[in-house]
Amino acid sequence: MSALRLIAWNEWRLIRRSAVARAALFMLLALSAIAAFTSIAHRDESDALRARFQAQADAEFDGQPARHPHRMVHYGHFVFRPLPALAAFDPGVDAFTGSAIFLEGHRQNSANFGDVRQSSLLARFGQLTPAFVLQVLGPLVLVFIGFGTIARERESGTLRFLKAQGIAARTLLAGKALAIGGIAALLLLPALLSLGWLVLAEQAPLSGALLLAACYTAYLAFWVAAVVAASAIARDARSALMALLGLWALTTILMPRIAPDIALAATPLQTRLETDIAIHEDLRRIGDSHNPDDRHFAAFKAATLARYGVTSVEDLPVNYRGLLAMEGERITAQLFGEYAADQSSRQRRQGALATGFGLLSPAIALRSASMALAGTDLDGHQRFLDQAEVYRYAIVQGLNRLQAEAVTYADDGSRNKDPEAARRVRIDPRHWHDVPDFTYRAAPLAERVQAAAPGMALLLFWLIAGVFTLRFAARRIAEAL
Amino acid sequence: MTLPDPSQTARGTAASTSTPASAPLQPIEMRDVELTRGSRTVLSGLSLDVKAGEIYALLGGNGAGKSTTLSALLGFLTPTSGLIRVCGYDPAAEADAARRRTAYLPENVALYDLLTAHENIAYFMALAGAEPERAAIDAALDAAGLQREARDRRVSGYSKGMRQKVAIAMAVLRDVPVLLLDEPTSGLDPRATADFNALLGGLKARGTAILMVTHDLLGAADCADRIGFLAEGRIIEEVHPGEGIDVLALHHRYGERSAA
Repeated sequence: MSALRLIAWNEWRLIRRSAVARAALFMLLALSAIAAFTSIAHRDESDALRARFQAQADAEFDGQPARHPHRMVHYGHFVFRPLPALAAFDPGVDAFTGSAIFLEGHRQNSANFGDVRQSSLLARFGQLTPAFVLQVLGPLVLVFIGFGTIARERESGTLRFLKAQGIAARTLLAGKALAIGGIAALLLLPALLSLGWLVLAEQAPLSGALLLAACYTAYLAFWVAAVVAASAIARDARSALMALLGLWALTTILMPRIAPDIALAATPLQTRLETDIAIHEDLRRIGDSHNPDDRHFAAFKAATLARYGVTSVEDLPVNYRGLLAMEGERITAQLFGEYAADQSSRQRRQGALATGFGLLSPAIALRSASMALAGTDLDGHQRFLDQAEVYRYAIVQGLNRLQAEAVTYADDGSRNKDPEAARRVRIDPRHWHDVPDFTYRAAPLAERVQAAAPGMALLLFWLIAGVFTLRFAARRIAEAL
Repeated sequence: MTLPDPSQTARGTAASTSTPASAPLQPIEMRDVELTRGSRTVLSGLSLDVKAGEIYALLGGNGAGKSTTLSALLGFLTPTSGLIRVCGYDPAAEADAARRRTAYLPENVALYDLLTAHENIAYFMALAGAEPERAAIDAALDAAGLQREARDRRVSGYSKGMRQKVAIAMAVLRDVPVLLLDEPTSGLDPRATADFNALLGGLKARGTAILMVTHDLLGAADCADRIGFLAEGRIIEEVHPGEGIDVLALHHRYGERSAA
């Protein structure tokens, strides 16, 4: 057996015989297994629940009786975002952003029903998922198991003894890294098994799962290098532990919480209320369809009459109220789109800035890559919002078109006075059946990999930094003896 | 106390201990070695050599340079000038080759507390490239005088003397041409010291060159072929105990030098 493998094997033996290390390892493995099971179960349950709610919302929309089309515009429709299979590994922002949107005319609502709003504050700290266990708790266990791997050898004198046996510092550190790496591999095992299960049983994309596994492997490999290097460089085991705990707290707890705040301060977002007020003011500026003196709608009316070659709206072959509703919706949707694009662009800048903090924290780099690969990042949520808005616009304009074409202008104007007119404006419910159901199209893998690329590049940077730190530590050890 | 069969030891099983072609070479050779640590000169023109089958005891007061001499021979420290060779190899430039031919017994023997004596020896021997049978390890531990009932216990409960016996057993098993000892009998009782000296005699008979750093003049006079007195980084006096020296006078002189 080579010296490197001997050193690693001996380290494993020492870890096996340490009650503290055994307990830490057992607890994390148990936690990791529980996280994998509960996370898969939670994702399956949530996805099934959302599918059931979606089917129920579709059925209720389709089951509406004969109504005026504009009543249906305000009756609205719920759409739910299905959860990608890999959300069981890393649910990302799903718990915070909400998964359902109520679609209605003249309004663009926010998503609702995030898990965090329905659970305790504990969920804000971090849900028990394989991703959380590996991102936050995995490094902590590696720190507790490995902080003394070299420092204790130095303190007890075995390091000098090993050197006297002709063991090179580089071989020693590589052997120790192999041993702590073996522990990291053990920590990864439940998560890898859960990824395998998601690929085999839940049709998660194999390439996405493999890339996720590679990212988490690189992350833990960095921590292995950091633990061994700190243990080699520090004056004693206690100093190594303090330094590593500081690094862990700073990079996995503090930075991931500070980075979004800094990004928010650098690129502030408007609140929902501010946006609503701004949109309302813009709408007033653009025009009011109920005001006969409004310049925009006066021009629209003139253009419509000219297009149909008539002189009054009563002579139009279509219901002018329906056309007005379509024009009003077009204007509000365009305005919503502009505000949404602005918000989305600010959020993207925030995201890019927050990911940039990955240069200071490997946990941020990993989170960014992990959420993107799992399809649970903010881009995935934005994609859902965009598709929901396209769907909302299509439904609302379809109903407005029905008002224009299936309801007469005369009936529409007298429906509140004439019961017969009121009956006639309630059109056949088969029209609601004809409205297509909402189908969310998840981003293709290539797009997700592209979104994950900055995070993956930062992880690679950390891995290389870890290797260089190990080499530096090996030189320090060689010089110190 | 008898040494194990050489065929069961590292020298008997590993071919890697051959010396460079230009034999005969001194196992330990130091010529005009100067070594500074920071602004302090620790070794100042130190010259000594230890022949195969010879025990050399190096005595000196605190700070005389005894431990530095061992560190330089182990390649842990590089001399500022002068020549150091272990079986013909420069321990600083050819550390691996030199260390493969050297066994080292520190004053405070460092072992893995969670391992037994057997496991410690097997591990360190494996790192040195040898995989002795359990019987060979037992024979070496017998030679070192470690009680049988203690051998499969974790060494965390061992006394200093017991730890030294484990390290001695390792040195015996490695059977290398050079043995460096740092205060080897400091933790041993008189009986164990006598046993240890007998063990050194066995190693000497096999041709091992032994350099022993010690404060124990009486012990050194008992087993060493030569005793060198180190002061201010160089040998200031060398005596041959076998030639009928007056140990008491030597002790008196040595004590004065240590205090100086």
